Amino acid sequence: MPKRETDDEILARIGLDTLAATEKHRTRRAFRTAFFFMAPAVAFVSIVLLFPVLYNIYISLTKWRRFSGFDEFAGARNYTRMIDNPFFAEALANTAIWVVASMTLPLAIGLGLAILLRGAPGEGAFKNIIFLPRILAPTVVGVLWFYVYAPDGVLNRALGVATGREVDIGWLYQDNTVTGAIIATFVWQSVGLVMVLILLGLAAIPRDPIEAATVDGARPWQVFRHITLPLLLPTLLVVTILSVLAGFTAFDLLWVMGVPYPGQRTLSLAVFMYFEAFQKGAWAFGSALAVVIGIVVLSVTWVQAAMQARIDRMTK
Amino acid sequence: MAVDLETLDFDQIAKAERRRGKGSWLIMGGALVMSAVWIVPFYYMIISIFKTTPEYAQKHPLALPDGVGPLIDNAVTAWNNAKMGAGLLNSFIYGSIGGALAIFIAALAAYGLTRFDFKGRNLWFMLIFSGTVFPFQMYLIPLFFTYQELGLLNTHLGMLIFYTAICIPFPVLVLRNYMNGLSREMDEAARMDGAREWTVFSRIILPNCLGPMTATFLLQFTWIWNDLLFSTVLANKTEVRSIMAALQVFQGSYSSFGPNVIMTAAIIASLPSLILFIFLRKHFMNGMRISNVG
Repeated sequence: MPKRETDDEILARIGLDTLAATEKHRTRRAFRTAFFFMAPAVAFVSIVLLFPVLYNIYISLTKWRRFSGFDEFAGARNYTRMIDNPFFAEALANTAIWVVASMTLPLAIGLGLAILLRGAPGEGAFKNIIFLPRILAPTVVGVLWFYVYAPDGVLNRALGVATGREVDIGWLYQDNTVTGAIIATFVWQSVGLVMVLILLGLAAIPRDPIEAATVDGARPWQVFRHITLPLLLPTLLVVTILSVLAGFTAFDLLWVMGVPYPGQRTLSLAVFMYFEAFQKGAWAFGSALAVVIGIVVLSVTWVQAAMQARIDRMTK
Repeated sequence: MAVDLETLDFDQIAKAERRRGKGSWLIMGGALVMSAVWIVPFYYMIISIFKTTPEYAQKHPLALPDGVGPLIDNAVTAWNNAKMGAGLLNSFIYGSIGGALAIFIAALAAYGLTRFDFKGRNLWFMLIFSGTVFPFQMYLIPLFFTYQELGLLNTHLGMLIFYTAICIPFPVLVLRNYMNGLSREMDEAARMDGAREWTVFSRIILPNCLGPMTATFLLQFTWIWNDLLFSTVLANKTEVRSIMAALQVFQGSYSSFGPNVIMTAAIIASLPSLILFIFLRKHFMNGMRISNVG
């Protein structure tokens, strides 16, 4: 196979060297002007965001000393230290619970609500109500639910009315309830957006195939399973990945609501990392934890991109 | 639409309507229970700010307050003890200046990425957009040390630099898509008439991008306003910390102030975003849409 000529070579061969030169000159000038416009964004992003990421990876391979800083190389020691740290195992287990919960709960509830509500009387009002918490900052939601979960708070009172006995569960004080309680708050805040996005996805589905199938005698479940669901798949994928990433890196809620819990640092990897670095001063170990979080987040994003590409191919 | 009444089977319609009715009662019931779970916490928050601390302790948490007077006391206590004035002002500065600067820089970059033919356009875009793929945890420790080194820790300037940078990549994505959709005829015509690139950008492209720029600005403003993590790490002093950091520290002192006072502080901290949301609901919803599906 003959070697493919570049544009420059073709132009040179047919005797248009000068034209080739001007063309080259033109694109170079175009780039120079374009770069003038892009420069501030490139500078901000690379200095304030990308450089720290590299620096973080570097720190995670060193040993921190009070006076010399991060000069001493430590190899993978900060990473192997995680294995026998009992708090790390616990933080990892809780993070796994967060991932599973944030992958399933917002999606299941949001999808259920969207399908049941669509076109029902009062859809608009209900949608607004469920969406309401999203307007508040996670910190504010955390403060509110901190008191809802208080031993003499709203939740225990409501359970007391329902069971007929006095309930005084310390939801945010105990090992077996604290993670579930904070996840419930997370779902309370995030399900509205999930529902709205799914409703948008549903609205974008063409009516024709659904009507055709109904005319042909398909049952509602069959229509949903074979027409609506496949067409909704891209939306569901995006929504799920967003929830997982939000749940995986959640910090504000855990930081605000976890205050009374004695093992606060083990609530998730994100909190554990903050605790080790900014409260204990284990900077190098903390940045190794940040790298681990980064690897997980990048893998999730990568899986999403791959699945997205597959869905795009399928629908085309 | 004209309906041919002669051919409609009214019995059939009535039957279907009745079946639908039964199903929707069940759905309505479920919806009411869910609405309660979503509304009761808000109701609880709003009535609590009208109670005095002893009143809060004695009464059922969902009982109505005796009057509306204690709100002023609660607000004053919260304002003074949480240093809310400083927090609100700081967050307002960070959100408005940082957000606006970020959107402007992003618009510049989007113009460069869409209006010039050069090799590696996609690579330059990826470089800028890669600012959104890493989790925040990876920025914390290096920024803390670099800021300490440069004397930017606990300064307004340091916070503005960070907030501007973190708010650039996403608007670049949105504005690049939008500018790609804008017709090139107008700017080509202007160039023919001898307009410089800067004039084309500021006179023709920018005025056409005000819609998506407003939507993304509101989104970035809200993000900055809601941020707790970076203010906690890079600026935890009273004079520079954000409103959410002020609220979190105040909440941490929950033993010394009643829930009524702390929830008043939480409401004050939310007022600006609530007002923005109510007045600019359309832009906001647009922003939500592009932020999550785009």
